[in-house]
Amino acid sequence: MILDLYLLFLGVAVLVMLGVVITIGLALFRRGRTPVDGDPPAEGEPGKFRAVAGATLATGFILLVLLVSSAYVGQVTSREPGQDERPITVNVIGHQWWWEFRYIDDQPSRTFVTANELHIPVGRPVILRMTSRDVIHSFWVPNLHGKIDLMAGRTNTLRIRADEPGEYRGQCAEFCGLQHAKMAFVVVALPEEEFDGWVEESLRPAAEPGTELAQQGREVFLESQCSLCHTVRGTGAWGTIAPDLTRIGSRRTLAAGTVPNNRGTLAAWILDPQHIKPGNFMPATQLPPDRLHALVAYLEGLR
Amino acid sequence: MNGNVAVIHVGHLPNLVSGSRGTLWWAMVLLLVIEATVFSTLISSYFYLRMGQPEWPPAGIDPPKLLLPTINTFILLASSIPMYLADSGITQGKQRRLVWGAAAATTLAAVFLALKVVEYAGVPYRWDDHAYASIVWLIIGFHSAHVASVVLKTIVVMVLGYRGYFNERRHLGVQINGLYWHFVVLVWIPLYVVLYWTPRWL
Amino acid sequence: MHDQAYTAPTAAELEELDRTWDSPPGLLGWFSHVNHRSIGRRFIVTAFIFFLLGGIQALLMRLQLAVPENTLIDPDTYRQLFTMHGTTMMFFFAVPVMEGFGMYLVPLMIGTRDMAFPRMNAFGYYVYLIAGVVLYGAFFLGMAPDAGWFSYTPLAERQFSPGLRVDFWATMVTFIEVSALVAAVEMIVTIFRQRAPGMTLNRMPLFVWAILVMSFMIIFAMPPLMIGSVMLALDRTVGMQFFVAGGGGDPLLWQHVFWFFGHPEVYIIFIPALGMVSSIIIAFTRRPIFGYTALVLALVATGILGFGLWVHHMYAAGLPQLGMSFFTAASMLIAIPSGVQIFCWIATLWDGRLVFRTPLLFVLGFLVIFVAGGLTGVMVASVPFDLQVHDTFFIVAHLHYVLIGGAVFPLFGGVYYWFPKMTGRMLSERLGRWNFWTLAIGFNLTFFPMHQLGLEGMPRRVYTYVDGLGWNGMNMAATLGAVLIAVSVTLFLVNVAVSLRRGAIAGNDPWEADSLEWTAESPPRNYNFHPIPSVAGLYPRWDTRAGRMTPPVLGLRNDVREVLVTDPLDAEPDYKSVLPHPSYAPLILAFACTVAFLGAVYDVRWVPVGGVLAFFAMVYWNWPGTVERTPPWKEAGRGER
Repeated sequence: MILDLYLLFLGVAVLVMLGVVITIGLALFRRGRTPVDGDPPAEGEPGKFRAVAGATLATGFILLVLLVSSAYVGQVTSREPGQDERPITVNVIGHQWWWEFRYIDDQPSRTFVTANELHIPVGRPVILRMTSRDVIHSFWVPNLHGKIDLMAGRTNTLRIRADEPGEYRGQCAEFCGLQHAKMAFVVVALPEEEFDGWVEESLRPAAEPGTELAQQGREVFLESQCSLCHTVRGTGAWGTIAPDLTRIGSRRTLAAGTVPNNRGTLAAWILDPQHIKPGNFMPATQLPPDRLHALVAYLEGLR
Repeated sequence: MNGNVAVIHVGHLPNLVSGSRGTLWWAMVLLLVIEATVFSTLISSYFYLRMGQPEWPPAGIDPPKLLLPTINTFILLASSIPMYLADSGITQGKQRRLVWGAAAATTLAAVFLALKVVEYAGVPYRWDDHAYASIVWLIIGFHSAHVASVVLKTIVVMVLGYRGYFNERRHLGVQINGLYWHFVVLVWIPLYVVLYWTPRWL
Repeated sequence: MHDQAYTAPTAAELEELDRTWDSPPGLLGWFSHVNHRSIGRRFIVTAFIFFLLGGIQALLMRLQLAVPENTLIDPDTYRQLFTMHGTTMMFFFAVPVMEGFGMYLVPLMIGTRDMAFPRMNAFGYYVYLIAGVVLYGAFFLGMAPDAGWFSYTPLAERQFSPGLRVDFWATMVTFIEVSALVAAVEMIVTIFRQRAPGMTLNRMPLFVWAILVMSFMIIFAMPPLMIGSVMLALDRTVGMQFFVAGGGGDPLLWQHVFWFFGHPEVYIIFIPALGMVSSIIIAFTRRPIFGYTALVLALVATGILGFGLWVHHMYAAGLPQLGMSFFTAASMLIAIPSGVQIFCWIATLWDGRLVFRTPLLFVLGFLVIFVAGGLTGVMVASVPFDLQVHDTFFIVAHLHYVLIGGAVFPLFGGVYYWFPKMTGRMLSERLGRWNFWTLAIGFNLTFFPMHQLGLEGMPRRVYTYVDGLGWNGMNMAATLGAVLIAVSVTLFLVNVAVSLRRGAIAGNDPWEADSLEWTAESPPRNYNFHPIPSVAGLYPRWDTRAGRMTPPVLGLRNDVREVLVTDPLDAEPDYKSVLPHPSYAPLILAFACTVAFLGAVYDVRWVPVGGVLAFFAMVYWNWPGTVERTPPWKEAGRGER
């Protein structure tokens, strides 16, 4: 709908622009009459007065039309969804420089937390309640809706709905410090049954490590500084100041949309986060290659 | 272009003028408009912050006491009277009235400042406790700075008056000082109402 | 008005007058100049230096963004670059350059010999210069502010922006606003009280009207930001809680205060440019402007309406819908007075006898580019549309179309138009055309793709972007355009440098123009005019050339700096004000204020110290000379405090 509004505005703009340029062009190439050096003629050039007055009135009228269209679209796109549309609610908390998503349910035991990837059901409205733990951020998925700011001390609400399944890229749209440029996220719109399945999996604790290497990796995880900041549900790691890693293996990207998620990038990230996203708050974790290898295997298995 | 041409002759016009004829008078009025905008911003900020809070003043702080500030307000308002007398006196050449009037006004304003210091040494909050504290301290600080600066200016006027510099022709500087003085006094009235009464009403 | 024999002034008389209005030579003497042309020139030159610095910052940013994942500039340097670029262009270039042109031209256009308070003029300049030097000093020491030119809280609070960077921003921005406020007060008094006899308000050139409107806007718009930045500085230094949500404050208060200033700020920049456009159009169409009254009313309406738009910068902040709709309506409404002006100018062009020189080219460029920018402005006035493009490169495109199109193009036109008056030489017409076309093409190449970039999702203030989003080509095009703009500016500088030495001699009135400044010499003598003219119409120079003479004004002394003060509405002679001769007092006061402002960066207790120093500096400034002494200008009554 916003697209239609934009096209209307664009159409008007192009027409006005053409009108102005053509008029100026004509004015330039007309043969000028002998000018009056001094005060303007007493009879006041009535033809021009009518032209200017007419153009002004036309401007006013066009603006009125655009104003009304804009107000209408604004109304429609910010409407509160009815209960019959079965909206889901997700609390979004902005951090420097990642996104925390808390899926809210009427039953508190069915609430869970994830980060940097927002899964939503196709065709159902999603009510996003936004706030920030630190500075102002802005949640923006261009292909789904306009943006809204996340501010400490305030809760702003955005309602989105994906009509088609797919992956939609989003990015922070309010300068929030050093790594504002690398604070992206992905919205994954799933058909309803797939979404329900994803929710059920998310409610379970973290996957058990499948191989011996991954088991070793879990020990590495719990022995290193990781659990000071990160949570992996079902283990002893309950840190809350960094993204939840319970299902990190299934995410498409790392570091809030900065790099794709695979063994190589994950290892590089753990060893030296400052190289990929300088200034972010994750310290480097020095590990010998075999322990790093195990850790990555464990984390990739957390799906 | 010689010969008999119409000419506009201004040789007889004066160099010294009084009141709103003077360009400096206009400059002072514009300065006061700027100051009024400053104080409007402060008052608007006070109400904006207030609207965002459930309790104002915040829990644990009583609305400001009234007795001392109210007396103090009358002291400040009273100071406009000797200032007015000084001003109108010098336009008639009464140099001594200028000096005495300015001295009386300055004394009253100094008392006002002293009582303000006493009042704010005793409030139960520091400027960094809460936004309420911050905006109150900022408003009081700004206004008191203005009182202090107009007192200093007036002392200079007094000294010059004492040296006989001002008379019935040359007194624009005194009038301008008076404008600033009356502004600082009058602007205190809305500030006083906002700071001391609105927490009780709203 | 008396009929009497008028004799032209003798050479000896003119020499004495010239000496009275002269400024001391030499480097030391430079710091005591107070005359409006000298100070106006300094404002213009200094502003252009900041323009170059801001342009280099932009070029560096564009080079970084030319390709994805570029490593030319690290994120910390980048955030200082975009903060400095915005702060430099908005505070240190655009407003001062317009002030400079106002200071230089307004006294000449209204027929007086200087501004009302020459020392205050000089003071404003030193404050401007010091604020800029301090800020750039911080930049070169790696302490440039880095939270954006708009410095949003909570990012700008000490917790998230440690160090002194944002403190430099808050204090130096406040300091330079003192400069602007001082200039505004002076312009208003000068325009209302020193116009030549016969120059009623409806015979004032449109440029003078524009400066008047701009000055009133400065008076109402800048104080709120001063309070805001004082609050920010206090939050950071002594822990006040104005913008801290946890302490009962509100980060959104900052946005309201900043944008209440910020939106009128762009009109403060834009309105004088509109005055320049009118001046150029009159001269280069050789006809009276169509719709003088409408143009004046449009300027005033734009100035007033500009104060009612600020929330359109905050549409994404989560404010109530109904409130935002009001600002949509107001933001669209302001297109009407702008439109009226465009229509009147086109009507003037319609049957003028056009002279296609560089100033007119820049005005034509302005018409096209500004209208485009205004149209995207109407688009972003709409809340649902803005929620998509807010904080993206679409907005970067919009703001540069209206600011560069709306202010910089007229400014260049104004430079080409008035350079002969200020220096006595013409700028090269050939280089001028190259300057214009490279700027027009370079500008559009840089900023037009940015509309699309914003629509495709590229946010602002990012130091890089990932590959594969389809943004690469447009970014590269924008960078190439930026290089072309740099070429254009280089051509401009070459033109200025060469023409200062070898440009054609201009004479009083090379353009056969209409307003009073063209009756003075090029460059004007120290005393501007002798005798002071009077006017009887809107185009006094055309009247004079057509033989419609008006009575000259006689009776101002030649041995003392006297100017005629007139009635505000009808410009009837009222009295004669004696202006001060050159003095170091403005510089001394500026240094005293610097103690307060620069000290505040480090410790808030420097503020009262600086205040006391400033008090003594002001006493020194205003202390009258001893009345026993006979030199008349010391005895003559300047109103002293």
